[in-house]
Amino acid sequence: MKSRLILVLPLLIFFGISIFLFSGLFSDPTYKNQVQVSRDIPEFALADLMQPQVIYDQSVFSGEVTLLNVWGVWCVTCDVELPFLSQLREQGVRIVGLYLPESVDADFGTKPLAQLQREVTAKLQRLGNPYQFNILDADRQYSIDLGVTGAPETYLVDKKGVIRMHLIGDINPQNWQTQIAPLYQELLAE
Amino acid sequence: MMRWILIALMLVVTNAFAVEEIWQFDNPAQQQLFNQLKEELRCPKCQNQNIADSNAVVAKDLQRKLYQLIKQGKDREQILQYMKERYGDFVHYQPPVTPLTWVLWVLPVLAIVLGAIFVLRRRTTQTTELDVSEAKRLLGEE
Repeated sequence: MKSRLILVLPLLIFFGISIFLFSGLFSDPTYKNQVQVSRDIPEFALADLMQPQVIYDQSVFSGEVTLLNVWGVWCVTCDVELPFLSQLREQGVRIVGLYLPESVDADFGTKPLAQLQREVTAKLQRLGNPYQFNILDADRQYSIDLGVTGAPETYLVDKKGVIRMHLIGDINPQNWQTQIAPLYQELLAE
Repeated sequence: MMRWILIALMLVVTNAFAVEEIWQFDNPAQQQLFNQLKEELRCPKCQNQNIADSNAVVAKDLQRKLYQLIKQGKDREQILQYMKERYGDFVHYQPPVTPLTWVLWVLPVLAIVLGAIFVLRRRTTQTTELDVSEAKRLLGEE
């Protein structure tokens, strides 16, 4: 009896490992940063992308449910996302952009603001403008506070300025319907 | 003509070297901490790369941030806390012991202990068998 158990044991271990590795094939390897959820949106004082004399702070989030969408003209997935976000704006969703400039390399310097504004205007004319306004995170410091890993990323912020969802990747009709819209509606009712 | 092309090429090469970022520190301890932490901090955008190896924008940004924090005189724990506050435990290659991760520590120890028990038991049974045969041989001789 004991020797039979020893014979079967390697087979059992083999099956155990197989099942473990097989389930790994279907697991989602992407990083999900959830530490920001249910936290107050970090403090900031950043300029408007189009009107640098206008400075915003976290009070822009109070009183309204907002999608804070992190994007840039250099980001390919953002191009895909912009038309759908524009549709959402038409449906009355408040979307604020956090603009990430691509390079702050000291050796090359940053892109002149005027050039950046032209590029943004051209892109939004072509693909639709979902944004109430764009906050320029010139040195990408605020993005680090938000735990941004790249673009596009979206934060769903409630009326009290608390982050309720952190989505890495694009917003599309599928995940809007299944994931985001239910919580969005709930937050509107709060 | 050839010479001019050569000189032009050399200029290009020196330019490329100048792009390499050079971090200046106040003392060797800061330099050491920087080298250590950029290896230990994980790029949140990449599949298993630390921020030293990755060229992702976020990895470059985190490296710059790490440099700034060290220059401000922050110590290892403060820097790790700063990063984890923003990017979660994921950002550090040394996960903390939590109910979810304790298996990582217990499993290797368990494997060593069980392996040791297995080996020791085999060895003792073998030696007793040997002793018996030895005894028989000795008895037979007698």
